[in-house]
Amino acid sequence: MITLLAATTAEAVTANPGIAETIQKTFGFHGPFFAAQVINFFLVVFVLKKFAFGPIQVMLEQRRIRIAEGEEKLKRIEKQLAESEETTAAAIAKANEDAIRLINEAKEGAHAFSEQKAQEAIAQAQQILAKAEAAAKADRERLSSELKREFGRLVASTTAQVTGKVLTADDQKRINEDALVKVEA
Amino acid sequence: MIRRTLLPTLTAWLLSLASAFAAGDGGHHALPLDAQQLFGPFTNSTIMVWLAVGLIILFCRAATRKMALVPAGFQNFAEWVVESLYDFLGGLLGEHLVKRVFWFFGSVFFFILVNNYMGLIPFVGTIGWNTVDAHGHHGFTPWLRGGNADINMTAAMSLTFAILWFYWAITESGLKAFLAHIFAPKGSFHGIMLLMMVPIFLFVGVLEVISIAIRPVALTFRLFGNIYGGEQTLEALMNLVPKWLAFLPALPFYFMELLVGFVQALVFTLLCAIFLKLICDHGDEAHH
Repeated sequence: MITLLAATTAEAVTANPGIAETIQKTFGFHGPFFAAQVINFFLVVFVLKKFAFGPIQVMLEQRRIRIAEGEEKLKRIEKQLAESEETTAAAIAKANEDAIRLINEAKEGAHAFSEQKAQEAIAQAQQILAKAEAAAKADRERLSSELKREFGRLVASTTAQVTGKVLTADDQKRINEDALVKVEA
Repeated sequence: MIRRTLLPTLTAWLLSLASAFAAGDGGHHALPLDAQQLFGPFTNSTIMVWLAVGLIILFCRAATRKMALVPAGFQNFAEWVVESLYDFLGGLLGEHLVKRVFWFFGSVFFFILVNNYMGLIPFVGTIGWNTVDAHGHHGFTPWLRGGNADINMTAAMSLTFAILWFYWAITESGLKAFLAHIFAPKGSFHGIMLLMMVPIFLFVGVLEVISIAIRPVALTFRLFGNIYGGEQTLEALMNLVPKWLAFLPALPFYFMELLVGFVQALVFTLLCAIFLKLICDHGDEAHH
């Protein structure tokens, strides 16, 4: 480069025209050639912009948007998943609470029911017992009265046989009562 | 790893071999400094640029014909290249600016890259005809010439950038801020200090204007010089040894030229991006 410029300068000094003109002649800078190259360059710029940079940058932008959307969706899904997990955990906890409450209620119900049944059974048993006692008392009273009556009759009969006297009703009654008082005593 | 190194090695070897054969006949054919007119306003480098445009069109069509959300093949490669360059420039220019100017910087990078590599294809710059001018000077006109080995091409890109550069700078920050960025005193000065600083910063502004005016010229000659110099180097090296061995000295330099082709495309693009960033930075401050 330096050599070229030195050569150019040397030529310029020798021929003594303007430096710009010398450089122009030496390096072959010509208006029409320059214009043709400018047109070529603009052609390249146009082609690259239209057929390369344009579509590729649009595609890169589309892909960037797609990736951003995907990231956004992923975040949304993760959020939804977390919310869903939270909701599920809350529902499970609530179900557990309900289940425990129902079990407790069932236990309490069962306990009350069994208590009630036991009380009913006790009451029934007491009734049966009372009935049995009443029946036994009635039987005993009946037997006692029958026994008294039989005892009275036997006493009266024995007294009649022993004394050979026909006893009146009042005698029989008095003897019976005496005998009963002695027996009961 | 072996496959990675094998491909450039093989490429460089084949390029140097083919170039040696191409340049082998007819003695030393130095590539002239200027592009040669073939017909109308079209030169041998214009033809090469058309081929580069055709290649770029083919690549673009192949990459974007069936665009899919899940990329494959050419689309995948094209997306990787475009996205990498976009992110790289985005880191330099910022999100807002890169969105606005990527079409230009991307085009510049790919165009220079394709042209640089196409200039390394054997027969480009080495097959042509000998000429004798009116003064009896012997010359050589190649049929094809690397696009960036023509100053008209590099100047076309640089001056296009220069125009867009001013347009973007003014539309980003406004004409007043743009001029203030160049001429106004930087820092907070008051009273007599401000009065003293105004002429200094006006002078600095004039220097800045000269610097701005030189930058497109520097861009033009940097790219042209590197690419033309590379082609000259390869040709000169091939003439150092007997013709049947001509490929050998050029072989290592083909590796270098493959690297230079990429680096120069990157340098041109990066410098343009940095120039734009520097001139728009004041605009950002003004917005804040």
